[in-house]
Amino acid sequence: MLWLWILFGAVALVVVLGAFGYNRLVRLRNEADTGWSNIDVQLQRRGDLIPNLVEAVRGYAAHERGVFEEVTKARAAVQAAGTPGAAGSANDMLSAALGRLLAVAEAYPELKASDNFLRLQEDLTDTEDKISAARRYYNSTVMHFNTAIQSLPWALVARPLGFRDKEFFSAEGDTAPPQVSLTPAT
Amino acid sequence: MTLQQQIRRNRLRSGIVVIGFVVLLGVVAGLIGVVLDLRLGVVALVGASLYALFAIISSRRMVARMTGAQEVGPDQLRPLRRVVENVSIAAGLPVTPDVRIVDDPSPNAFAAGIRPQTSYIGVTTGLLRVMPKRELEAVLGHEISHVRNRDTYLMTMATIFAGVIALIADVGFRMLVSGGRRSRRGGALVLVVAVVGLLLAPYAALLLRMSLSRRREFLADQGSAELLSDPEAMALALRRLELDTTTMAYADASVAHLWVESPTSRVESERRGVLALSNLFDTHPPLEQRIAALEESGGFRLPETLPPDRPFAFELGLAEE
Repeated sequence: MLWLWILFGAVALVVVLGAFGYNRLVRLRNEADTGWSNIDVQLQRRGDLIPNLVEAVRGYAAHERGVFEEVTKARAAVQAAGTPGAAGSANDMLSAALGRLLAVAEAYPELKASDNFLRLQEDLTDTEDKISAARRYYNSTVMHFNTAIQSLPWALVARPLGFRDKEFFSAEGDTAPPQVSLTPAT
Repeated sequence: MTLQQQIRRNRLRSGIVVIGFVVLLGVVAGLIGVVLDLRLGVVALVGASLYALFAIISSRRMVARMTGAQEVGPDQLRPLRRVVENVSIAAGLPVTPDVRIVDDPSPNAFAAGIRPQTSYIGVTTGLLRVMPKRELEAVLGHEISHVRNRDTYLMTMATIFAGVIALIADVGFRMLVSGGRRSRRGGALVLVVAVVGLLLAPYAALLLRMSLSRRREFLADQGSAELLSDPEAMALALRRLELDTTTMAYADASVAHLWVESPTSRVESERRGVLALSNLFDTHPPLEQRIAALEESGGFRLPETLPPDRPFAFELGLAEE
C-alpha cells in the first residue's frame, strides 16, 4: 500500500515538473518568435527605404547602373530568404551593396546636400541600428531556447514534442561592438 | 540567475512588499487606536488605504513631479528617442518607454512606471551635456533593464508605501505629543511602546525600500552591459558620473532610489539627517563597487582618465560648439 502511494507521488511529481518545463519551453519559443518578428519589422522598414534611396541617387548618377542593380538584387534576396540564417547573410550582402551606393553618392556634393537624401540616409542608419539591436535580442532568445531543448532531460523529448533548434540571425560580423581604445592619447 | 528568475523574484518581492505594507499599516493604525482613540485608528487605516490607492493610480504623475521631469513633444529630441527605441528593441520590450527631461545640470537618469507599457525614462539635461552617445546608451540600457526586470514596479510600490507609512506616523506622533498632555490614560509604558513603534515603523519601511534597491543596481548595470554587449560603456558612464561633481539642484529624498546615481549623496538634504550615519541606509552601492563589478565580469580595466568624447547634446542641438 505504501509503495503504491510512493509511486503515485512520484508520478504526480513528474507530471507537475513536466508541465512546468513544457510551459517554459513554450515561453522561450514564443520569445524567440517575437524576437524574429522584431527583426522582420525592421528588415521590412529598411526594404521600404531602399527604392527611394536608389531613386534619389539615380537622379544624379544614372550611369552607375551596376550599383543600383546590386542593391535591388540584394533587397529581393532579403525578402525572399526563408530562414533567419539565410536572411542574415542576405542582409549582410545588402549592407555591403548599400555601402557602395552611399560611396557613389559621395561623389555628388549636390546630392549629398539635398534634404531628401540626408533624411533617407539618417533613416537608413537608424534602421541599421535597430536591426542590430533586434538581432542582439533575437540571438539571445535563440541561445536560451536552444540551450533549453539541448540539455537533459528535454533533449530526449523536445524533438517529438515539436521543438526544433532555431537558427541565429547572422552572428558573423556583429559578434562584438567595435572596441574603442581606452589608452589616452599622449 | 536568469532574467526570468530575476523577474519572478521581483514579482514575489513585490507581493511581500504589499503584504508587509498592509501588516505594517495595521500595526501603526492599531497603535494609534489603542493609545489615542479607536476612531482615530480607523480613520488612519481607511485614510491611508485610500491615499495609497490614489498614489498607485497617479504614481506616474507623482514621480514626474518629485523628480521635476517634463514631457517633451513627439518631434523634439528625435535622436534621443531613437537611442531609447534601439535600446528597448535590444531588451525586447513590447513598447518603447517615453522620454522625459529633467532640467538639471547634474548628470543623472531614472525609470518610473508600474507596468513596462506605461513606463517612462527621465534624463537630466546634465546627462545629455556630459555623456557621449556610447555611454548615454549604457545609462539608458541601465534604466531599460530596470523596466524589463520589473524593478520600477517594485520600487514604485515601495516608494508609495514608505511615503504613506511616514505620513501616518508623522500625524500620529504629533497627536501623541499634543494630546498626551491633556489625557494621561494608558500610562507611561504604552506611551513608550507607542513612541518606539511610531518611530520605528517609518524607518522599517524606509529600510525595506533601501534594501530593495541596492542589489538591483548591480543587476541593472549587468543588464545594460548585456543589452549592448559592451560592459565597458557602462563602466565608463559610471566613472564619468563619479568624476562629475555637479550637484542636483533639486533632489527629493523619497525618489532617491529611482536615479542611476544617488542624487542625495551629494546633497545635504534636511530629510537625510540620521540616514547619513550608516551606509546601511544608502540607496545605491558606491560607484567604485559598481565599476569594479563590471570590470570583473567584463574582464577589462578602466584607465584613470576618461577618453575625451563628444557629448550627445551636440547631436540634439542642446549645446553649441
